This record gives sequence, structure tokens and C-alpha cells, in this order.
Amino acid sequence: MLQPKSFPTTLGNRENEDCTTDDISQEENPFNFSPQLIYLHKDHELFEDGDVERHLYLQDLYISEAIDDKQTVSVSEFACHISGCNAVHGTLEEYEHHYNSLHRHVCSICRRSLPTARLLDIHIQEWHDSLFIVLAQRQDMYQCLVEGCEHKFRTSVLRKDHLIQIHKYPPDFRFDKPKREKGPREAKQHQQQMDIAMEVVDHAREVLCEEQSKQADQEESMEMPAPETGNYSTEKSASHEQLAAGPNTNNEHLKSRYSNRVPSNVCFGHGSIRGFRGHRGRRK
Amino acid sequence: MIMWRLSRIRHKAGRAGYSLEEFRVKRREHEKALRQARRDRQLVSRRLLLNEDEGQQEAIMHTCSNENDVVSLFHNLQHSGPEREAHLKTLSKSLRDLSAQLIFIKQENSIHMLVGLLTGPNTQCRLQSVRCLHELSHSPHPSVATACLPATPYLLTYLSGQSTRFTELCLYTLGNLCPESDVVREKLLAQGIIPALACCIENQRHNMAVMEAVGFTLSQLLQTKDASEKIIPLVLASSLPSHLLAVLTPDQNFALGPAIECAWCLHYLTCSGEDNRALLACGALLQCSMLLVSLGGAVAQGNKAEGVELLVCPLLRCVGNLLSCTPDVPDACLSDVGLTVALCALLQAYVQTQPSLARESAWVLNNLTARSSLFCSALITLNLVPNLIQLLPFSQGINTMILRVLANVAHKKKEFCIQLAEFGLLSSLCATLKMAEQAVVTLSLDILFMLFASGSQVVEDFAREGGISLLETFQYYSEEDVRRKAVYLLEGHVLSSSSQCAVSCIPSS
Repeated sequence: MLQPKSFPTTLGNRENEDCTTDDISQEENPFNFSPQLIYLHKDHELFEDGDVERHLYLQDLYISEAIDDKQTVSVSEFACHISGCNAVHGTLEEYEHHYNSLHRHVCSICRRSLPTARLLDIHIQEWHDSLFIVLAQRQDMYQCLVEGCEHKFRTSVLRKDHLIQIHKYPPDFRFDKPKREKGPREAKQHQQQMDIAMEVVDHAREVLCEEQSKQADQEESMEMPAPETGNYSTEKSASHEQLAAGPNTNNEHLKSRYSNRVPSNVCFGHGSIRGFRGHRGRRK
Repeated sequence: MIMWRLSRIRHKAGRAGYSLEEFRVKRREHEKALRQARRDRQLVSRRLLLNEDEGQQEAIMHTCSNENDVVSLFHNLQHSGPEREAHLKTLSKSLRDLSAQLIFIKQENSIHMLVGLLTGPNTQCRLQSVRCLHELSHSPHPSVATACLPATPYLLTYLSGQSTRFTELCLYTLGNLCPESDVVREKLLAQGIIPALACCIENQRHNMAVMEAVGFTLSQLLQTKDASEKIIPLVLASSLPSHLLAVLTPDQNFALGPAIECAWCLHYLTCSGEDNRALLACGALLQCSMLLVSLGGAVAQGNKAEGVELLVCPLLRCVGNLLSCTPDVPDACLSDVGLTVALCALLQAYVQTQPSLARESAWVLNNLTARSSLFCSALITLNLVPNLIQLLPFSQGINTMILRVLANVAHKKKEFCIQLAEFGLLSSLCATLKMAEQAVVTLSLDILFMLFASGSQVVEDFAREGGISLLETFQYYSEEDVRRKAVYLLEGHVLSSSSQCAVSCIPSS
């Protein structure tokens, strides 16, 4: 890419000497743009096309643009900036669609990507909220997934039946995978971990580890990230393996989840992260 | 605006005899070879001047090279007589063919004979023999061209003559010989090629065909690798620069062919890294920008004469590089803000068909706006910003350079920032921030910073476009520099009232 070669200008101080040097700013200002005069030497690559056209003309190979059929202009592509996601799209619409579909409604705890805010809310409530578990033992807590339908159900199975019978949903609707039934021991462990999660956000990683060991055996749900390569710390997976339960655990799968490095001081409201490192979206 | 007749460019013989598709294929092959040659710093071309009586159709029809033909012609030429002219003419046609060329130069005393005829009493023979030498000079084979060297002192002498066709042939022959080797150039310099060209250009400045030829020959000299040490200082010290500039005046005598050659000469002079003060002193910046304004105006009106881009290109480069050399020159040296309009018009006109030209126009606009507040102001008051914004989707360096221009404007004053925001720049930045090229993203953030600093209204407007949540995603961007900048913006360091911006920066979800 073009680098300004010389002559940073000293022309006219910027009239609105900005306030970044005020004492309110705690951090150093990383912005340092200043207008640059750019001198291009004869052999600069920016001159290549024009030089070639010049010489084609000298060699009697000039072609007027009216009849030259070469399509030369190119348009910038849009690249997903979420670290680890390599998706690139030709149009802004495609990019927005990708982003909205895969990165917008993501559960920060288990990293599942849901298509809408509502389904994300329901997911968090049903999967990660210990209060929900308590309440669900006594009342109908499982909401119907269809927007506008007010029905609630005692179990997820009942809800699923409702979805199939009343709303004609397919039995394998991708956004209604049930959590695996827990045995008493697991349930207690789970409860303990949820407590931990409530208390201290810093241990989010360990919590994740536990959660993931439970969910590893579950059927593949929506848009799970493909196994990550090289982007995670292996030391964690060592400790992780000690905690993981039995033979069902899929180590490979677990390792992939472990690339989450959510800084604890980042909060975007609703407990959900809009996008985070380690999630690799599918190419369009 | 001065109207002028753009005489059509010549030298389109390459098309003759080919269908359009065959021609395109041939062109693409040559283009590939030229690109590689440039990367190897071996970019060299020669020009062939066709005979007036050669229709374009005949241009590529070689006479069948028969060894006996050339040899027998040569033998015939040894004897003087009325048929000599005819034989010479036939010889010149045969020498279009490479194998004939090689055979000819191997004949003992063949060049010597030609030189003799070149300097003899018969002027038609002079013309035909220079024709032969011209054919030889055009040869791709190095030994053939260098065989012509004995003729050069005479060719140089004849440059002061008055016969158009003859002078043209001498010039193009010399021009073809220039890139040959250091040895050849040393010789030509010693024989006084630069004063000879200066003299020629002075005497023939109303003769467009000769002017084109001089321009070509000089450009061949200036383009060589060692030009900056040996040749350019000599040229700058001569009267050549002011004569070159005179050709670039859009008056009634203006002709495209000569202007193209002279503009390329000026480009080689300005981009050589040598001191450009001499050129600035003779008004190069003013002259080139005035012509550019004229051309920009014509192009904006849809008047794209064939070949005009061959002139626009070197002019852009001259103006761009001269601008970068003169931080102290007052704005009065430039034409009025018409140059801003012209550059935007050129950008728009060429972005689809010749993106490299659009990129170079944007580069000049950068140097213009980096230099002076006057031109930044012009972009705003002349309502040119929306057009620039519309070009932000285009890659290959175009959007990067346009963002630089906009950043230059924003950098000047707060009022410009507010006006840029009013032109809809914020929503465009929401798009450019998502683009794949990191330079685009970085410049977009830089502009955003300056816009934010101009007032809280901008921050609010940006938030309304969904910009804040977009910035949030940048905390996971792969480059640290980008992350730091995004975080800095999000944490509201930019505005003076921190409480105010704390409110506007946190998303209300």
C-alpha cells in the first residue's frame, strides 16, 4: 500500500486544537493523522499502469476506451472483523447479513449464536439462569418460541409438542435443542458452577469449561463454530481435562471453545456479547 | 475555457490487418510483457514512422525476405545512376523485416554506404537513406540498432534543417537509438544531442509534427536509468523546459500528439528526485495545472477526445509531484480553485474505465488539500464532497486516497468537520469501517476521531447510524492499532465534556 514518503507538512496548525491533551483523558491518544504531501518517484508502483499505457501507445497498440472491453475497476470487499472470523463478502448487504446472523445474538456463556434477540433471551433464561430452573419446578416457564404466542409450558418437551402440533414446526427445529437431562450429581455441580458464575465474572473461563463439558455431548445445534486452530492457550485445556467428566467428552470439541477471551470489563448489556474472538463464522 | 482542435493522434498502425479481437489479444500480450519489463526496469519502446504513402493496411505486410533481394539491392546501390532512388526506396521497404536487417548489416560497408547517401548531394537519396536507417533503428535486435551509430553526428546536424519529413525521420531514428546502451548515450551526449534538440525545438515550434518528434526523442533520453545523473541536469540547464511548457498551452495551435510527448518529458523531469526549483521557476506548475483544468472541463462535458488520457496522465504526475515540492509557494502560483473541480471531474470520469488515472487524480487532490486550506474549503463550498463520498466503494488505492483527502479537509478546522458530517460522511464511514483493506479502516477511524472532536452532535448522529455498536466489534479486531483507536473513541476521550460523551457512547440496549 502507498506509504507517504516524505514532507510531513507543518502547514497551518489545526484550528480546533483538540482536547485530547486535556487532563480528562487517562489514556494516550493513539490518533496521529496529519496531512502528508506525497512525492512519487519515477519507478513507483502507482505509476505502473500509466507507464504501460504510454508504452502501448508508442508501440502503436493504443486502444480507445470506447472499444476497450477490459473491465478494470474493482470494488472493496467487506471483511468480518471479529477476530478469528475470516468471512469476506462482496457487498455490504451480504456482510450485514453475515454479521447479523452469526455475531449479533451470541450467548457469552456458551457461545451459541441465535438468530434473534428473543431467541437469545429465551436461551439464556432456559440454559444459564439458575432461577429459571427453580421456578420451572413449580410453574410453567417454557415459553412458546413463536412471537406473539403467549403459551408457557412446564417442560421443554411439552413446548416442543406444542410447536409441532399447533405451529406446525418440524420436530428437529434447530433453535430448540433441549438441554440434556441432568442426573442429581450433575445438577448439583451445575448449580455450584452457576453460583460461581453469578459471583465472579473473572472466572468466566472456568465456568465456560464446566458448561462446555456438559454440553459437549449434546447434538449439534445451530451454527457452532468450527474447531479453532492455534488461537487458544493449551494450558487451559490441561486443567480442563481434569475436570471434564467421562468418556463422552469430546476433547477436540472442547478445545475449540476455549479460545474465548472475553475481557471481564466489557459489557454490552443483556449479558450477551455481540461478537467475540474465537468465533469463526462460516463463509457465505 | 479555450476551445482547441485536438488533432487526432497518429500511430495507430498496430490495428491494421487485425480484427478487433486479434488486436486485443495482441495488446494484452504486449501489456503483460511491458509490465514485466517495467518491473525489471527495462521498459523501452521504439517508434516507427510510417511512410506517407503507406496505407495503414500495408503496415504489417512484410515483403518476403529473400536473401538475394537485400544483397542484390545492396549491390545495385553501389552504382550511381537514376535508379538509385528507386532502389533505396525498395531497400527501405525490405528492411522492415528483421532477417533482412540482419543480412544487410552484415554486408561489408553497407552502413557506410547509407551514410554516404545520407550526406550526398541527392536530397531524395538522403530522404530514402534516412528512411533505411530509421527502419534499422526500430529493430528489436540490439546489433542492428547499434550498427546505425556512425550516422548519428549527421542526424544531429540535420536537426537544424527545415524539411519536415526529413527532420522527423532523423529525430525518430535518434529517439530509437537512445535507449540502446550507455555507450550510445555517452556518444550522443558528447555529440551534442541536447543543444541540438534545444535548437530544433526553438526553430520548429510551430511545426507540430517536428515538435512531436522532438518530444519523443527527448522523452527517450530522459527515461533512461542513468538520466538523473547525466542527462537531466543538462536538460534543466537548457532552454528545453520552457519550450516544452509552451507546447502545453491550450491555444489555437494546440495539438494532442506533441503535447503528449512534451508532458511525458516534464514528468520524467519532475519525478527524477532532482530539485524541481528550476521547473517551478519557469511556471511548470501553473502551466500544467491550467491545461489540466482545461482538459478536466472538456472531460466533464463528455468531450473525451481519443487519446486525451495519454496527456492527462503525465500532467497529473507533474502537478502532483510539483505540488509536493513546494510547501512554501503561495497559492497564487496555482490557478484558482478550478483545479479542484477538474480533479474531481477526472476522478469521476475515469474511475470505471481507467482506475489508475482516477487513483492518480486522487493523489494530486491529496497533495492539493494537504497544502492549503483554500482547496479544502473549495471542496466543501463547491459541493464536491458528495461526489468523492460516492467513490468510496472503489478499491485499488482509490478509496484509500480519497479518505486521505477527506482527512486532510477534516484536519483543517472544526467547521469543515461539521460540514463533512452534513454531507453524509458518517454513514459512509460505517461502510468503509467494514471494508477488508486495513488502510481503509485506519483512515476511517482517523477521520471519525476528527469528526468526533468537532462536537457531540456528530457523536450522536454516528450512534444513530449504529456506529457505536460497530465500533464495539473493533475491540476484537486483529490489529492492535485499530483496537486501541476504537477503544479510545468508545471510552469517550474525544469530547471535552466527558460526562456528555459517556452518555452517548454506551449503547442503550
